[in-house]
Amino acid sequence: MQFLQAVIIGLLIGGVYALMASGLTLIFGVLRVINIAHGALLVLAATMTWLLWRETGVDPILAAVATTPVMLGLGWLIHRGVITRLPQGSPAMTVLATFGLALIIEGVLNVTVGNIFRSATPDYFAQSFRVGGLALPKPHVYGFAAAVVVLGGLYLVLTRTWTGRAIRATAQNPAGAALVGVSGAGTAALAFAIGTATTGVGGSVLSVLYPFYPASHYDWIARLLGIIVLGGLGSLPGALVGAVVLGLAETLTATYGSLQWSTLVFYIVIMVVLLVRPQGLFGTRLREDALA
Amino acid sequence: MSALRLAGVTAGYDGGTVLHDVHLDCPEGTVTCMIGPNGAGKSTVLRVITGLLGADAGRVTLGGTDLGALPPEGVLRAGVAMVPQSQALFPHMTVRENVLMGGYLIRRDRALVKARYAAVADLIPIVAARAGDPAGNLSGGQRRMVEVARCLMLEPRVLLFDEPSVGLDPRSLAAVTGLIERLHADGRTLLLVEQNVRLGLRLATHAVVMESGRVLMHGPAEEIAGHPQIADLYLGGRAAVPAGQASEAAERRDDG
Ligand SMILES: Nc1ncnc2c1ncn2[C@@H]1O[C@H](COP(=O)(O)OP(=O)(O)O)[C@@H](O)[C@H]1O
Ligand SMILES: [Mg+2]
Repeated sequence: MQFLQAVIIGLLIGGVYALMASGLTLIFGVLRVINIAHGALLVLAATMTWLLWRETGVDPILAAVATTPVMLGLGWLIHRGVITRLPQGSPAMTVLATFGLALIIEGVLNVTVGNIFRSATPDYFAQSFRVGGLALPKPHVYGFAAAVVVLGGLYLVLTRTWTGRAIRATAQNPAGAALVGVSGAGTAALAFAIGTATTGVGGSVLSVLYPFYPASHYDWIARLLGIIVLGGLGSLPGALVGAVVLGLAETLTATYGSLQWSTLVFYIVIMVVLLVRPQGLFGTRLREDALA
Repeated sequence: MSALRLAGVTAGYDGGTVLHDVHLDCPEGTVTCMIGPNGAGKSTVLRVITGLLGADAGRVTLGGTDLGALPPEGVLRAGVAMVPQSQALFPHMTVRENVLMGGYLIRRDRALVKARYAAVADLIPIVAARAGDPAGNLSGGQRRMVEVARCLMLEPRVLLFDEPSVGLDPRSLAAVTGLIERLHADGRTLLLVEQNVRLGLRLATHAVVMESGRVLMHGPAEEIAGHPQIADLYLGGRAAVPAGQASEAAERRDDG
């Protein structure tokens, strides 16, 4: 029973991780940009959620309805103001610039809301659903549900709409996409904005599930990078699997070993997988030019 | 009537000028074959026509329309589509999705997209036969057919082919060749770059010889094929073989 409980909670957490990693991998897939600021954007969205919750009493997860459009617009602005101004095909520059962006967001949060731990604690914060002999924490269940909604929506957009097909086409073959009349610049802007918009819901869930402070983004970007490297850079199904592996590795290690070991085990899994499959679980082989 | 025309086109990349004062004339309904050594600038000519590469000087026109002023999307809308030299498909999308993407510019008209897809699938059997398979799982020849199918979704007036025969086994080659002949018979204007000069000149009505970014020669295909210098360089080295044996040598090469 303890095992089943750990597995289910691991899956719930994995779903939340998948939500947080989805935007990062989508952006990489289309733009070949590793957005180091993704973690900081999550923390920013979490902070906005926390403020909304404290000021209005609105449910923090539902607050995503308000923060998502803000993050969408912010993503568009970042793409327009930072990403498009970087020299094409320079991974070093994009990593450096987005890291700088992360530091700026962290700094702004430090100055405006202060360098303290926060957590949104709605009334269900410490409650659980009792199913059989299992206790499923409500925040985890709601967070997972939000993740399913966002990832399901993303899947439908990517597979059922022309916009989504244009995004996938650009990720798979930018030259081929240009040949059928897809605007590379427009698609890149859209993918960056959508990828950033996912931090709206991601941040909402974060604010309830995990205490955070401005510098928490280091922890988050490390985890999220681990997930998408494990799954295969740019692959959404890969991010899903990587996220579930992390969720399970953490929960099972915390249940049967110790909390300290829980993240370490995940990184060991990543190293073993990458030794066997350098492209990650779902990645197509990473060519020399894939980062260009 | 001239469908596609390049007049005094000069173009290049960051590395320098590649095309120098290129003139080209593809009359409506003809097949023009462009030949020339590697690096002569043949693919660059096609890239300039599609608008993927801007010209530094000169004009590219279709009918009377100035294509040079249009973005790649505008050139497509005007009726020029290209099957490029290297992989153009989306490997993780199905064949059906790949072909449908060819209709991206007419996406607002669902009925039209559907009708065009049906027509294309009818013309190119592989589209229906492998509709649900990822394009990345197809053979080189099958991919080439799907690339052409994707182009046809916009019913282009002018089709550009960059080395359509490269890497194809004899059966796929026959299929691609048959398709080119069919498109010609349908009255489309074709411009192809072809390394297999014998094949290219057989398919073509007109030919253009390029070297170092310049047009060396142009004229009716038979005329170019019969030109001693061309025979020399591309059709089996007439100079190296005593006259009279040349055509025989070329025949043998064909068999091989
Ligand atoms: N993307 C590019 N950037 C810089 N130079 C290029 C590029 N593509 C082609 N070139 C150069 O332009 C010249 C003509 O190339 P290309 O048009 O591909 O020749 P062809 O198709 O006749 O073999 C070559 O010298 C090639 O090195
Ligand atoms: Mg070429």
